[in-house]
Order: sequence, then C-alpha cells, then structure tokens
Amino acid sequence: MADISIKHLVKRFGKVEAVSDVSLQIADGEFLVLLGPSGCGKSTILRVVAGLEDADAGEIVIGGRLINFIDPVRRNVAMVFQNYALYPHMSVYKNIAFPLQIAKQSKEEVGLAVGRAAAMLGLENLLQRLPGELSGGQRQRVALARAIVRAPQAFLMDEPLSNLDAQLRIQTRLELIQLHQRLGITTIYVTHDQIEAMTMGDRIAVLSEGVLQQIGTPQEVYRRPANVFVATFLGAPPMNLIGGELEWVEFGWRFRGDNIDVPLSADVTSPPEDGNPADMRQVKLGLRPEHLRIGPPGETGGIAGQVQFLEPVGSDLFLTVEAAGTLLQVRTDPDSPLQPGENVSLLFDPWRAQVFGPDGQNLRRDTAPVESAAALAPAAAS
Amino acid sequence: MAVQAGGVAESDVLSQHAQEYASAARRHRAFGITKGLAAYATLSIFALIAIVPFLYLLSPSFRKSYELFSYPPKWIPSSLYTGNFGTILHQTSYPRWALNTLIFATSVTVITLIIDTLAGYAFARLRFPGRGVLFGLVLGTLMIPTAVLIAPLYIMISRLPGWTHSGINTYPGMILPMVCSPLGVFMMRQFISTLPEALVEAARLDGGSEWLIFRKIVLPLMKPAIVVLGIFTFMAQWVNFLWPLIITTTNDMKTLTVGVSSLQGQFVTNWGVISAAAVMTMAPVIVIFLMFQRWFVQASMAGALKQ
Repeated sequence: MADISIKHLVKRFGKVEAVSDVSLQIADGEFLVLLGPSGCGKSTILRVVAGLEDADAGEIVIGGRLINFIDPVRRNVAMVFQNYALYPHMSVYKNIAFPLQIAKQSKEEVGLAVGRAAAMLGLENLLQRLPGELSGGQRQRVALARAIVRAPQAFLMDEPLSNLDAQLRIQTRLELIQLHQRLGITTIYVTHDQIEAMTMGDRIAVLSEGVLQQIGTPQEVYRRPANVFVATFLGAPPMNLIGGELEWVEFGWRFRGDNIDVPLSADVTSPPEDGNPADMRQVKLGLRPEHLRIGPPGETGGIAGQVQFLEPVGSDLFLTVEAAGTLLQVRTDPDSPLQPGENVSLLFDPWRAQVFGPDGQNLRRDTAPVESAAALAPAAAS
Repeated sequence: MAVQAGGVAESDVLSQHAQEYASAARRHRAFGITKGLAAYATLSIFALIAIVPFLYLLSPSFRKSYELFSYPPKWIPSSLYTGNFGTILHQTSYPRWALNTLIFATSVTVITLIIDTLAGYAFARLRFPGRGVLFGLVLGTLMIPTAVLIAPLYIMISRLPGWTHSGINTYPGMILPMVCSPLGVFMMRQFISTLPEALVEAARLDGGSEWLIFRKIVLPLMKPAIVVLGIFTFMAQWVNFLWPLIITTTNDMKTLTVGVSSLQGQFVTNWGVISAAAVMTMAPVIVIFLMFQRWFVQASMAGALKQ
C-alpha cells in the first residue's frame, strides 16, 4: 500500500493535449474517483500511472518512489480494464495465476494465492471455466481477482462497471466498496457515472478537457461546485442557472435578472469593496432542483413562474417551470397536485444559492465549510 | 342508422385489408420460393463449372490410354483400370518428387508462418519509428509480379557461394526465396489488430515480456488466422510450378508439378498416366482442405464476433 502523488502531469497525443497540468495527491488507502465526460483525459491519467502511456511532463510518485521511467510491472499497480481483458483461451484459474506464474512463484504459492483471491470474490466453483462461459458479473470478479492476487500497492480501475447491466452494477458497486474497505488498498477509479463517483469515492476529482476542475469529497463537490462545469455535470437533473447581476443593497447582495429580484446570503461573495465591480454584472445564479420549493403565486421573495411539464419518476416529481426568462427544473413531492399551465412562485433558501462569475468560477466565499453554512441558514433566510 | 352504415363500411374496409394482407403474404411466399430456386440454380452452375474439369481429369485416370480417344467420348469408364497409378508409382520418380514437394511446401509454410506472425505482431502492436513506411514497403511488394522476380532470384541463388549450400538443385535454394509473403504479413497484422489491445496491456502489467506476451497471449488467439494462412501457403506451394521448374535441373530434385509435367513426351503422351499423377497430386490438398474447412469459416467470423 502506498500514497500516490501526481505532479503537474501533461500528456499530449500529437497536437492534442489530453491532460493539462494535473496535480493530485492520493493518500494511502484512499479511494479517489476521476470523474468527467468522455474524452476529458481521466483514462489517460490512469494509463500514465499504470505505465501504459508515457507522460510528456510531470512526475508520478508512488510510495515515495518516482516511477515515470519504471516498467509497468515494477510499478506494482494492478489495473482492471473496462472490458475486463481476461485471456479468453485460459481458464479462470490460469487467468488469476498468470501474473504469479510470470513472477516465477512456486506452484504451491500460486495455488494458495489463487485460492485466497477466488474465495474472496466467490469464484471457487468457476476456476476451471473459460471466460467465455461466464456472465458479465463473474468476468468482472475474475478481473478483480487477477488484480488482487498480486497484492499490489494500488488499484487502477478504468470504468470497470460500465459493461454491466443496471441491476448488476448496483450490486457490484457495493461489492467493490466492501472489497476496498477490507483490503484498504489505494485506488484510483475512473468513471463518467456520477452515481458511482458519489457513492464510492472518498474524494472525487472532476475533469474536463484535460483540466482538473475540482477535487473534494462528494459532498463538497456537489454542494460547492467550483465552477459552472462541475455544477452542471454533477446532479440529475443538473443545477439550474439563471443569468443576471448582483447589486449591493444595504449591507447585502441582491440578485437581479429577468423577472427576478431576490436577496442572497452574506457568504455568497465578498462585499463590493473587495471584488471587481465589473464581475458583478454578468453572473449566473445556480440553484439545485431539490433546493427550489413551490409556493402560491405572488409570494414575497419568490420567483414568479408557470409550470410547463411534469415528469413523474416514481420517488419524485420533476417539474419544468418557466421563470426568470428560462426553464428551471424543480424536484418536488410526487403527490403534488400541480398541473401544466399553473402559476406558482419558486422559493429557495438564499444560503443554498451558488453564484458564478463571468469566467464561470464560483464567487462564493468558501471560508465557511458546508456545515457552518447550514448553521447560518435560518439567520440568512430571515 | 348512420351508425349502422358506418359499422358496415368499417367491416368492409377490414375484410378488404385482410384480403390485401393475404394476397401480399402469398406474393411474399411465392417470391421467397422463386428467389430460393434462382439462388440454387446460380450456385449449381458455378459448382458445375468448378467440378467439371476435375471430373474430366478423374475419368481418364481410370481408363487405359487407347480408351481415351474412342468416339463418341465416354465419360464413365467401362471398368475401373488402376494400372495408370501403378505405372506412376513404379516406373517414374513420383515418390521422390512427392517427398521433395512435401519438404518444399512444409518448410515454406512453417518459415512463412513464423516470419509473418512475428512481422504482423510488430506492425500491429509495437510502436517503433518508421513503422508506417516499412509496412507500406511490405504492401508495395504485393504490386511486383512474381514473373519479374524469377530471373533476379535465379541469378542470386545460382551465384551463392558453395558453403551456403543454397544453390541450384538444393532444398534451401528452393525454399528460401519463397518464404515470407507480404499478403501473409498483412493478414496477420489485420487479425492481430482485431484482438483487444487491453489483453496485451493487461499482460504487460502482469509482468509479461514482449516475447512472452506474443507466445502466451497473442499466438494462441491467432490460431484461426494461422491455420488459414498455413493452408493457403501450403496449397500454393504444393502446386507451385514456375520456381521449382527453374531452380531444379535434376530429376531427383523435381517437385510433383515439375515431375508430372515432364511426363509429357515430345511425340507420345500417355494422358491416362498424367491424369492419374495429377489426381494423386491433388488428393492430399483436398484432404487437408476438408479437414480444416471449419477453420476458414471461423477465421472469417473471428473479427465480427470477438470483442
């Protein structure tokens, strides 16, 4: 087991910069998720750490050892591939034993290690089968067994669940979490699935176009997105964004836009004397669908709107409301009697709002952690 | 009343629809049968074109030579005469030619397979400077007709120093210029490209050297492609005529094709004997093809089914 440190990593393919100056610190035993859309460079980072690609610049240090120029096998990391990469002509036993046999371990040692790994993943009865005779979930477990049998310093997982059906994915996700808790091996996990990222990661690193956007615990990344990209990438439906400007009125900020004029809490951004006034004219107000409440029309402090569509999903009802010159998504009670065409007003707690500047960065003063912001809530709302 | 009229009209429309549907189904069935018959007829014609020359060869091999020129020509011999085969085996060097051919075709096949699979792997999976240019050159050689190469190859082989044991009328001289087919390199490269790259990467992370990955992972998965290339090469070399004709001058070094053609006399030719020799020469190739037929299908399907 070891900590991993990636310093100023750059990787280019021809003229395309797939990874631009990414630095990450992964603590010993941590489960870090690299999250981002296709082509954001997350898999490339993983492959560079594994040694399947060479870095163009930057350092990769595992357990205090610089490994940039070390052979993949000597890096002592194990990778689980998206398509499992099981050797189709070898039995499950041989697949799991392969790395040990290459390392020239004795037959008895190999047998013991394979037995242990197989027992851990419930593969004892499948050892003589060929990969082609296994289900997707079983293949996934064989791939994991092959990774853990080497007792690596770190696991690298490249979208290991994306080839499984929805039901199996949830089950395997839990198994992976349990496995990580039991083994405590440092893990870098690549996915584009935000549910996987939120449920599995100790921390999430969000990437876009090769650039690290934000790194933090799932809660931090969700509640305090660093910029518009993170805000809209995480969450389904994504965060609502309303264009407008900020105005300092009597010791507090107000957000004004098309048909909207609402007060914001003090920690949204610095007082005007600290900030650049030009930045306050073109801002976006960010509100999560679950933070908007439906009130009767004309309620003070609310945003006037009209219900356009209803999308019941069983546990929730998603409303599309036309308000403030745009369409806003609202999550509400599935038993709500609302109908399309009804006039409503949308209410929210000012402290929950995010404000993004013209460059897309969150203007919120991040001095207060999420918990203390919650404590401030009643005062700010009143 | 209006409602009733509407109901009647509706049922009329429905029955009309049903009739239309039934006639469309009949037409569809009839079309299906016609299409099937047409396909069979076309295939039968091509099968006939392919098989008639073989039957034309098979028939005289079982007849005495004076029967061959009887009029009207007889396709089916009145009795099965096997003397032609005896003549071939006992009065010519056929066994020796067969041995030469076996050595020639097998050696070329084995060496071709080794070179082509290794080259195919390198072109498909290894990154080295000049890979594209080299592969282009390999493919470029496909455009050079064999006939153009025969003379220079002959001169090269004939001028090799004695210590190489590779001159005219030697096995190495016969075999070496024929090994390594660019088409084979291309075929192997294409096949290896269809194998998931993650397999090779996984093996690399597991600690495999390049050679071990090739031997333990890539080679076993290439079995269908290797069998196909092997059979193609073997069959092509078994019936190779031009090169063995040029590079051999003694009766002892002739291959079957060269030997059989030498049975044709200047004034008299025993067509029965020649036909028998041709049938005997073809037999092993046909047997091998039938044995490995399923591999051909598998190899052509492999790219489609494997991920």
